[in-house]
Amino acid sequence: MVDRTNILAQFSSALVERSVAANSAIAAIRLREGRHMTGMLWRPDAVITSEQSLPEREEFELLTADGSAIKAKIAGRDPGTNLAALKPERPLSVATAIPAASHVGALAIAFGADAGGTATPRLGVVNAIGPEWHSSHGGRIEQRVELDIDLARREEGGPVFDASGRLLGMSTFGPRRQVIIIPAATIERVVPILLKDGRVSRGWLGVGLRPVAVPEGLGDGQSSGLMVMSLAAGGPAANAGIVAGDIVLSVDGVSARRMRNITARLGTDSIGRTIDLRFIRGGLVTSRQAMITERPNS
Amino acid sequence: MTAVLKVSADARLRVALSAPDSLRRQALSDVLVEAGYIVVDIEDPADIILADGDCAAGDNRPMVRLGDGDRPASGLLPRHAKPHQIDAALRAVAAGLIVRSPAASEPGFGQLDEGDAQELLTPRELEVLSAIMDGLTNKLIARQLDISLHTVKFHVESVFRKLEVGTRAAAVAKALEANHFKMIKL
Repeated sequence: MVDRTNILAQFSSALVERSVAANSAIAAIRLREGRHMTGMLWRPDAVITSEQSLPEREEFELLTADGSAIKAKIAGRDPGTNLAALKPERPLSVATAIPAASHVGALAIAFGADAGGTATPRLGVVNAIGPEWHSSHGGRIEQRVELDIDLARREEGGPVFDASGRLLGMSTFGPRRQVIIIPAATIERVVPILLKDGRVSRGWLGVGLRPVAVPEGLGDGQSSGLMVMSLAAGGPAANAGIVAGDIVLSVDGVSARRMRNITARLGTDSIGRTIDLRFIRGGLVTSRQAMITERPNS
Repeated sequence: MTAVLKVSADARLRVALSAPDSLRRQALSDVLVEAGYIVVDIEDPADIILADGDCAAGDNRPMVRLGDGDRPASGLLPRHAKPHQIDAALRAVAAGLIVRSPAASEPGFGQLDEGDAQELLTPRELEVLSAIMDGLTNKLIARQLDISLHTVKFHVESVFRKLEVGTRAAAVAKALEANHFKMIKL
């Protein structure tokens, strides 16, 4: 019996209860001999995990705390939002979690899976939040959420709950192994698309760019631009006659000083549209039209 | 009193190699033998362990690990570290040092980095910085880029100013840290 006057004992037993309940919210995803990562049971027909750490394979084995081993096929993956969805070969019993937004200071419990699919809890708080952000892979994430929690590699991809047991999102590693959340809102927006189409289509230019300072006297006074470092053969930029070394100044008249200005123009609806690229080549400002195509899979 | 410092270059280290993948194991073994190490099995007595990924060995021998893992290791290198990096790391860790490579920790899922406009380098400055990172002298940089020594010095100074450093080594460290050579694919 829990001592009703001892608040710490109550807190502790509540965490024990949550950890037991979490056994039916996670699965271990077997990667290779001796290694696994965590999957979050999202719907009976969908287990989601962190795309960046999931090897490129078609089929995986899920291990759940009740001892079952279930085969699951990749339903779709989106590096842009770091979400991958697996479809188990038979429906799983999943208690659908109620999504919730994160607040600074709110209690957060992150669950990983051990090798047998049993939940391993981590307790902390939401350390910082920020507005919607864009990943370096071009995806939009509804909210920036940082936790003060450390995770083992194998625990990445599991659910993070708040004190009321509502779902804050999926845990993943940001730069320098900082634990961040892919918010429930992003999961709810992206995973249905992954289940339906296998991926999130994005516009593509076929260029590798790096921010550079524009040498003085060039660029109509604009101080920075994006230098073309690489071109995909047969890609939209290459077809438009862009060459390595060109420094892009603007896209459709919008300054390329901020990379975000360009990624914002490469959403799903941009495919098939023609854009105007203004750039410096050989000391002169010139422009070309490129037709955005769909980003290839790899 | 004179201290005598001696480095015995001919003491061959025994390296216990742990690599679950047989192809990787063969490749790493070749690298080690080529570099003059004695390669032994993970159970055998050894001076140091080289592990490809997490290693199950439950002992306290010093370890250099390639790629990701959760166990602590004195040496951490990226999965595709170059042979000379593996060699350097093994020697350093066997000598009781800790080795980290800037690229060892995976980048993680991060934000689109807009950088700081103040410290953006021009294309020429990037070329010069890249040559500095390759260890080239000003004279060699001038030859490689086909510009005068005076111009090279001018660019080097400008790079130092923008990166707020005073030495070439600091410039290299800063450039790696700030990821100046990151490319974004669109």
